[in-house]
Amino acid sequence: MEAVLIDGFVLGLQFGILGVGLTLVYGLGGVVNLAHGQMAVVAAIVAARLIDRGASTAVAVGAGIIAVALLGVIIDRTLMQPVYREQSDHRVLLGLLLMLGVGFIIDGVLEWRYPIEALNLRVAGGPVEVFGVKVRRGSIVASSIIGGVGLLLVVFFRYTTLGRATRSVIQDEEGARLCGINPSTVRTAIFGLSGALAGIVAMTQAMTSPVVSTAGVGLTVFALIVAVVGGLGSTSGAFLAGILLGLVNTVSATYIGTFVSSIILLMAAAVTILLRPQGLLSRA
Amino acid sequence: MSDPLLVVTGLCAGYLGEDVVHDIDLTLERGEVVCVIGSNGAGKTTMLRAMCGLLKASAGEVRFDGKDLRRVPGHQVMRTGMVYVPAERHLFPGMTVSENLALGSYPKRPDGEQLQIVYRTFPRLQERARQNAGTLSGGEQQMLAVGRALMSKPSLLVLDEPTTGLAPVLAQEAYAALGELREQGLTVLVAEQQVPLALELADRGSVLDHGRITLAGTSEELASNAEVRKAYLGI
Repeated sequence: MEAVLIDGFVLGLQFGILGVGLTLVYGLGGVVNLAHGQMAVVAAIVAARLIDRGASTAVAVGAGIIAVALLGVIIDRTLMQPVYREQSDHRVLLGLLLMLGVGFIIDGVLEWRYPIEALNLRVAGGPVEVFGVKVRRGSIVASSIIGGVGLLLVVFFRYTTLGRATRSVIQDEEGARLCGINPSTVRTAIFGLSGALAGIVAMTQAMTSPVVSTAGVGLTVFALIVAVVGGLGSTSGAFLAGILLGLVNTVSATYIGTFVSSIILLMAAAVTILLRPQGLLSRA
Repeated sequence: MSDPLLVVTGLCAGYLGEDVVHDIDLTLERGEVVCVIGSNGAGKTTMLRAMCGLLKASAGEVRFDGKDLRRVPGHQVMRTGMVYVPAERHLFPGMTVSENLALGSYPKRPDGEQLQIVYRTFPRLQERARQNAGTLSGGEQQMLAVGRALMSKPSLLVLDEPTTGLAPVLAQEAYAALGELREQGLTVLVAEQQVPLALELADRGSVLDHGRITLAGTSEELASNAEVRKAYLGI
């Protein structure tokens, strides 16, 4: 049981970071990035290809994360520009549809060019005992990386100028402009950051099980559920929702069955949304 | 005598191709307090937003401190020293008072001395420094909006109806604080429908009616003008 909980927690941390990336982009520009998971897979496949060609793991992982961050920046600067010119509902709908299209394109290209490619970063060595429970080595490395990234994000948003500027644009774009902050610069930077976060999650996932080229849609769905349960636009809410749903998913997959686990996950999400429609942490 | 701080000539602006304000002329000398009075819907906010680069003017010129503001994007206008405090305040509700103030000096680190000046002008903000801006009362939010604007050490403070949503006593307090800022030598342009308060503070004023400036003069002249008394002072 303890091992399952730890696995669930590790998965949850990764869900959380995926959700944070999605929620940030939504909070800043109203874009629901339905290609978020596919972007994570792009990072994984770039890394896998580089490893195939003899690059060291560290270089390949770094290059994969940078590639997907750049992809985020490029999408923001090109495809999203007409979206940001729209207002309210139109903006959300247009952004959502365009990103859905980007997701299809990425999926299509991956299936066409790299149908059997997968990133495997399995960490060598037997399980390690933590508080008397045997935990896979990969899980420990993955969760330390994700935990570190989470802490860095907290520091970034609390104490750095760009981090504060990001929060200000999420809370009041006009107010940010009055303070001399250019919302469009912040949006571009954070779309890149969101891509990098998705890439990091792909890398940590590959430490416990291979990330295949078709994994994108599934990751997008998880990210979306997490972000909605956490309250779209709330980073701490998304992180908490990720941990919660990661636990629910792993526990139900182990004790009930993998098929049923996604139904239970969606039900858990639906119940949370019914109970707290404004998101886990936000006050109504 | 030095050049005026702000010169607005022939400014026209509006929304969706339809002008709301027409041919606005306005000049502010350094150290002056000028008010623009007008009723709801007269175009005060449109005029101020166009002056501060938040709305594209369809015609006319805005020169601030010798610079042509038409070439400056909206978010950079405050770096020239002209800072706008909207009636809706546009604070960051989920951030603390001190974080809101810190963002006022973006992209620089907040200046400790300037922060002390703001806290001395609005001691209430210091008491509430660690509280989220969203939990403040209306009067405190107005103080924070002005405080945040002051953090960039502006040479001109542009205020849109600073008394919006404030009880009469608080509105008077807000104007008392503006009087203090004026003593410190700040140049202030304020748009207001609470005409008595505005005329008491300002050196000069203009009347904006249906998007046009119909009357201008010293505050005494305006306060004794028969039409102003009838339309805005209820006398």
